[in-house]
Amino acid sequence: MMDFQYGWLLNLICYLPLAGALLMMAFINKENSTALKTWATLVVGVDFVVSIPLWFLYKPDGAEFQFATQLKWIPSVGVQYLFGVDGFAVLLILLTTLLGFIAVYCSYTAITERQKEYYVFLLLLQTGMLGVFCSLDFILFYVFWEVMLVPMYFLIGVWGGPRRLYAAIKFFLYTLVGSVLMLVGILTLYFFNSTGLAAVGLEGLGHAATFSIPHLFTIAPQIPPEVQFWVFLAFFVGFAIKVPMFPFHTWLPDAHVEAPTAGSVILAAVLLKMGTYGFIRFSLPLLPDATLKAVGWIGVLAIVAIVYGALVAMAQKDMKKLVAYSSVSHMGFVMLGMFALNEAGLRGSILQMLNHGVSTGALFLLVGIVYERRHNRMIAEYGGLAKVMPVYATFFLIITMSSIGLPTLNGFIGEFLILIGAYNHSWVWALFAASGIVLGAAYMLWLYQRVFFGELSNEKNKELPDLNRREQWTLIPLIVVAFWVGLYPKPFFDRMAPTVDRVLQRVDVARHDQGPSAGDHVAELAHAPAGEAAGEHGE
Amino acid sequence: MTLAQFVPFLPEIFLATAGFAVLLLGIPLGRSGVRPLSLFGVASLGITGVLVWLVARPVDGPAVILGDMLVVDQMAVFFKLLVLAAGAVVIFMSAGYLERSGYGGGEYIALILFATVGMFIMASGANLASLYVGLELMALSVYVLVGFFKLEVKSNEGAVKYFVLGAASSAILLYGISLIYGSLGTLDLQEIRDSLVALPTANPMLVLGMVLVSFGMLFKVAAVPFHVWTPDAYEGAPTPVTAFISVAPKAAAFAMFMRLFFDAFAPGVEHWRIVLWVASAATMIYGNVAALTQDNVKRMLAYSSIAHAGYALMGLVAFTEMGAWALLMYMLIYAFMNLGAFGFVILLESKGYAGEKIVDYAGLARRHPGAALGMLIFMLALAGIPPTAGFMGKLYLFAAAVEGGYILLTLIAVIMSAVSLFYYFRIVVQMYLQDGEEEGAEPAELLHDRWTEAMIAVCIVATMVIGVWPRPIVGWAKSAVGALGIM
Amino acid sequence: MKLYDLIWLIPILPLLGAIFNGLVSNRLGLSKSVTNAVALLGSGLAWLLGWGAIVQWVLDLGIHHTHVVRLFSWIQGGSLRILDGSLAEVDISASFQLDAVSALMVFFVTFVGFLIHVYSVGYMHDESDRAYARYFSYLNLFMFSMLVLVLGSNLAVLFVGWEGVGLCSYLLIGFYFEKDWCAAAGMKAFIVNRIGDWGFLLAIFATFMVFGTLEFTEFFPMAAAHPEHFASAATVIGLLLFVGAIGKSAQIPLYVWLPDAMAGPTPVSALIHAATMVTAGVYMVVRCNVIYRLSPTAMLVVAIVGGITAIFAATIGLVQNDIKKVLAYSTVSQLGYMFLGAGVGAFVAAIFHVLTHAFFKACLFLGSGSVIHACGGEQDIRKMGGLKKYMPTTYWTFLVATLAISGIPIFAGFFSKDEILFKAFEAGASDLNHFGSAYYTLWVLGMVGAVLTAFYMFRLVFMTFHGEFRGGEEAEHHLHESPWTMTMPLVVLGVLSIFGGLVGIPGKLFHHPEWNLIERFLEPIILPIGHAAEGGHDVSHHAVSLGMEWGLVFLSVGVAIFGIWLAYRFYMGVEALVRPQRLAERFPLAHKLLLNKYWMDEIYDATVISGTVKGSRGLWEFDARVVDGAVNGTALTTVGSSFMSGIFDLRVVDGAVNLIATCYDVASRWFRKLQVGFAQGYAMVMVFGAAILLAVYYLFKLN
Repeated sequence: MMDFQYGWLLNLICYLPLAGALLMMAFINKENSTALKTWATLVVGVDFVVSIPLWFLYKPDGAEFQFATQLKWIPSVGVQYLFGVDGFAVLLILLTTLLGFIAVYCSYTAITERQKEYYVFLLLLQTGMLGVFCSLDFILFYVFWEVMLVPMYFLIGVWGGPRRLYAAIKFFLYTLVGSVLMLVGILTLYFFNSTGLAAVGLEGLGHAATFSIPHLFTIAPQIPPEVQFWVFLAFFVGFAIKVPMFPFHTWLPDAHVEAPTAGSVILAAVLLKMGTYGFIRFSLPLLPDATLKAVGWIGVLAIVAIVYGALVAMAQKDMKKLVAYSSVSHMGFVMLGMFALNEAGLRGSILQMLNHGVSTGALFLLVGIVYERRHNRMIAEYGGLAKVMPVYATFFLIITMSSIGLPTLNGFIGEFLILIGAYNHSWVWALFAASGIVLGAAYMLWLYQRVFFGELSNEKNKELPDLNRREQWTLIPLIVVAFWVGLYPKPFFDRMAPTVDRVLQRVDVARHDQGPSAGDHVAELAHAPAGEAAGEHGE
Repeated sequence: MTLAQFVPFLPEIFLATAGFAVLLLGIPLGRSGVRPLSLFGVASLGITGVLVWLVARPVDGPAVILGDMLVVDQMAVFFKLLVLAAGAVVIFMSAGYLERSGYGGGEYIALILFATVGMFIMASGANLASLYVGLELMALSVYVLVGFFKLEVKSNEGAVKYFVLGAASSAILLYGISLIYGSLGTLDLQEIRDSLVALPTANPMLVLGMVLVSFGMLFKVAAVPFHVWTPDAYEGAPTPVTAFISVAPKAAAFAMFMRLFFDAFAPGVEHWRIVLWVASAATMIYGNVAALTQDNVKRMLAYSSIAHAGYALMGLVAFTEMGAWALLMYMLIYAFMNLGAFGFVILLESKGYAGEKIVDYAGLARRHPGAALGMLIFMLALAGIPPTAGFMGKLYLFAAAVEGGYILLTLIAVIMSAVSLFYYFRIVVQMYLQDGEEEGAEPAELLHDRWTEAMIAVCIVATMVIGVWPRPIVGWAKSAVGALGIM
Repeated sequence: MKLYDLIWLIPILPLLGAIFNGLVSNRLGLSKSVTNAVALLGSGLAWLLGWGAIVQWVLDLGIHHTHVVRLFSWIQGGSLRILDGSLAEVDISASFQLDAVSALMVFFVTFVGFLIHVYSVGYMHDESDRAYARYFSYLNLFMFSMLVLVLGSNLAVLFVGWEGVGLCSYLLIGFYFEKDWCAAAGMKAFIVNRIGDWGFLLAIFATFMVFGTLEFTEFFPMAAAHPEHFASAATVIGLLLFVGAIGKSAQIPLYVWLPDAMAGPTPVSALIHAATMVTAGVYMVVRCNVIYRLSPTAMLVVAIVGGITAIFAATIGLVQNDIKKVLAYSTVSQLGYMFLGAGVGAFVAAIFHVLTHAFFKACLFLGSGSVIHACGGEQDIRKMGGLKKYMPTTYWTFLVATLAISGIPIFAGFFSKDEILFKAFEAGASDLNHFGSAYYTLWVLGMVGAVLTAFYMFRLVFMTFHGEFRGGEEAEHHLHESPWTMTMPLVVLGVLSIFGGLVGIPGKLFHHPEWNLIERFLEPIILPIGHAAEGGHDVSHHAVSLGMEWGLVFLSVGVAIFGIWLAYRFYMGVEALVRPQRLAERFPLAHKLLLNKYWMDEIYDATVISGTVKGSRGLWEFDARVVDGAVNGTALTTVGSSFMSGIFDLRVVDGAVNLIATCYDVASRWFRKLQVGFAQGYAMVMVFGAAILLAVYYLFKLN
């Protein structure tokens, strides 16, 4: 189950930014902005470079978790230092290191004051995020999960917009409440595995006490349904807030709007993935029974998020807010594909996590670029930009197309698989979810038209400079990835396939206990009454 | 009773003597002698620590001494060392403070030493009588410490309130003890335990006795609804004293709590558990919620310490081994993070007595990045955010509660610890997110005091190290609770 | 290496051109000659390669052989459990196929595409270098997408092209993006098409769920083999696919984007919005004819939508005064005819009409472009007239194309349109799928539509080229024939509009069915259904006698001529333009109705669009107030209770102190009075406390 080869590599990737941050704190003068930038860029750059080998060294047919490290941490309570990744985590780690680099690289001119603290926090944030994807011990995971919040809080709170205080604390508290509930769920599992919970009369399995996730996978089938239900609920709140799923999404627009560009990029590209990562890594395989019972509800929530997010995005006057709500819609797709609980859906869901990271990350970069020039994000302020900033317009168009799922770009592959998976689960799901592609096109193109087309009426925009070299280079990698995924996604599928198969196997265990269930209820194409197809998974 | 029996009692004897010595030395030295006296006091605390380690350690199992009055076991050692450390830190922090406020050091330090003796006895009492004596010794010294700044109205007010309510609570405690004695005919914890086991059915007298004792203890740990003295006492007392009483007596009280309820009253757990459950929940909710809007830092920390007592009580409610050692560990961790936080309060107290508002911290990150970072660490620790010790401490308490099956209590606890982040971060917001340069804001100046800074550094190191590498502490705490009755 | 193994290169060549012009020429602002060279090279090579591949394919493999070139595995979605309970692998490959219908499409798409590239060289030469490069990169990109569309060997690849052409149409309509209405038109086109794509996507999923594959060569035979088994599925798939076709081919109710699309440069209108892209829907229906033939319902729906659109659009065309708008509505109407053909099972005729329509409609649009060019951008035919003598080439080619569309014998349009109408009648006569009466009605509609077509097209000719010039003095001076790059394509297309139809001579009329080359060419794609080749259209051969058939031919020619005559009566001679005036005055309501295109756009704006926008605003309010309000509300309540508790503490603690103080006071007084009071007082307190305590304790004990 574990392959310890190259275990050091994972630790290196994870702690390099931390080390960089500490050195920066110790040795670099806070006035010396060039040194700060160079050093920060160097650190994240090296981090990205050293993370690339994961892509090649990961063996899809190898052990479930590779590059593993296992050390005693707090043996008396069975807390280990357990690192290890599967293909799914590898992809997310690469996404993180890539966007971590871009986040630093795009901040040169955007951040002018308290630069030292800024870059320190960015680096700490990166270690936190990477740790979450590396950890295979629940406590270790939880530690990183919460550590991550602190630097993000400061990024929003110190370098954010006018309502930054409100947005920052809202982000912190909202996600914290979710994660502490998750902690209770974790502890419940922990004691169920070992001594049991006395007062509620829950017998334990009597295994040696451990928080090791690989071990807990093995006991998942023995967890009684009612326990699964409560633990699932606890996890759900934690992850759903992070995703964010309707109706837990309202922290997102505030956080995005107030955060500095790099903050928004990281937030959209990586932090939101934590929630979906948690679902796929923990909720589905550990609590298969509860998962199957929840399918109907979460499916509905996801569809609501898709349509609701898109419609609300359409009403926005602020570019960043629009993109933020589009995230709600896109993450709805991710959740839908996931809970279709079939290969296509799950693969699409994972791929869409990456796509959303790339596309939405790029969108925030693009918005940030004009914001830096005009210090204004109101759509009404712009118009006709295609005349003065043709290159910018081109980049924006490509990213727009990728975000609305135009074939040959990344978004299409993800949405296609998610929708075919959803259709496979229940054609009613697909019927409603697919409307998201119409609405998506509507709000994105409307945005594009209002910003780039028409008369160049606003005096302030007449002199806007086009993208400079650095700005272009922050975007080009993302566009390359977008086309790569769109044209030849096979390498990505190869790496995620083992994860997908294992997750589904673990869910199927419960499915067979339950007898005929979710996935097999393929909606009857021509003659399945609408209600039934969606309803039957509800209870 | 041979003379040999007194050997394990040497630390207490020595400490008491040292106390008198300080008292006497204080007369000639007067105000000038604060620092030498402090050194003397800390030295005697250190020697006591050595003595505890040498003579009062249960080399061959727990021993009962002095006519079954005191017990010498791991837990006693744990708490003794804990209060010694707390006392030393506080004395160091007090030195500069006393100089600034122009009060002599003699009585002050002596009182701290006497209080420590009292806590020693609380930590190792094996008999309701000895426990009570220890409690009162501690309490009386602390009353005086709170009112130590005789010219400060707030100080006196706080002392009076503390004293009056404290006396009332002692009365309740005594009454409970007498009820127990009345129904069982013994004050010896071991005998109480045995007769409780033997007792076929619950005797209402006895139950009432236990519950009243628990009330007395709840007052000492400042749990709702017996917390009302805390905010005024904490706000009124000289800040180092506040730091002291928020840590050491609380720890000692919990030690006594465990002696009583995990040992003597253990068989009657079904009778008192529910009371503690309610108290714990109420304390966590009330303490955290009330702290949200406090603008005075000391008052806010007072409520926060109430809340932390609530978390600690979960360990008692859980009534498991894990609950026991989690509580011990939490007392230790809480001591470090709270003392550290108060250290900064002391250093920032440049605007007159008890004048420190949260807004005085504005822009600290700009003017003193190091200090701000330290305060940030303590705030994160108090809020229980990893990788600080605060998280590790809470984790085990929560875990113990879950193990006990008290999910609802745990849910309350985790939600409330999330809420607590809000008021701790009100300070962080001031330090980092406000630059304190806008109209009308006059940020407090950070005083320079080597000793205090050193102590803060110690606390920071402890907080971070335990947070990342809790293994030794866990091990120690675990072994310390081995002697308790529940195991 | 045979050329037909390189069909994947056919789309790639223009793509390279697009990339070069888009990234290099546009960015560096290279001169027009470079741009021309690259763009023409891209499309020209595609044309040559396309034709070469077709020829080799016919010679080496023969038209019955479907040649599939599989490039690589594109999407690996893992396995899914499909309807029949088996596991099917979602493994979509990027692959292209060459068979009769795609060959036919490649044949004219590459050719017409190249011609229009040439034409654009002349038409766009006033643009700035960068804009020029942008234009040609878009145009090349369109060629790429369109060729992917017609060459794709499965629904997914087809969809790639499908969306690609949508994007290019969006970009090219919005080419003059400084003008708001152009940009708006582009967006309208894209979004309306997306509505169609919604159906198309669902159709793709449905197909996979039924057949477990998206490859044409795999699921068509399956369907053909078990017609009864797949009947209900075919209905669903067919209808969903048709939703896509409605969007792309501008049928009721999604036709609204096409007239607006005329905001783009005229060559674009000719290529994308007349000759190629808009016929993609027809192509797709014909491509999937197997599915449709399994489902009478789907067929009927296609026929009805097509027939109604045909006449509906024609009526609007009667009164339009913008030369391009007239052509736009005529395009919608002609597309309607094509779907009518497909709906009555005349798939060959439908695709045949696609072909001829590509020739004469492209010719018409290019002609109009040449006219607009000459009139300095003027598009209102009321300000034209008498252009015949200024631009003869344009006039004659335009006239030829008009004759073709009106269905005058020999000219291309006649054969295809007549075939469709005949099949419609035949369907009625043979009572196809027992919908006979419906098909008769549709035939009648078609006939009326033919009259209208002839009328409004000749109205256009007469008003534009005959009579006196009405554009004013100085405009008249600028009138001139267009440069050869523009007239050459006109001539070529004009010639094709004359002879292009000869590939589809209705040989049956002369007892020489083999004369109908196109029918023989396309015969392979009409897979025989079930065990033998029985089914409606076979039986129908005997439903209409030969004499009857001849009669129908003369009838349709007659109506065409009647239409022309009407147009002549109204718009030629001294009375020109006066009679229509009178007519309009006599039927003001009808005239208004047509002039305003039945207010369809207004209706959509009032309902769908403003509905969506208002709804989204409402939801946004809801989000801010309710959803987020709940969150903030919780926070506020907590803080509020915090204030309360703070105050409470102050009061209580002081209260307690005072209470105890008074206790002492009272007690001491009692003490002075009588000794025992003291103890009693405390006893009371204690009893009181104990009572509360035990109350609490037993309370919890019980539950």
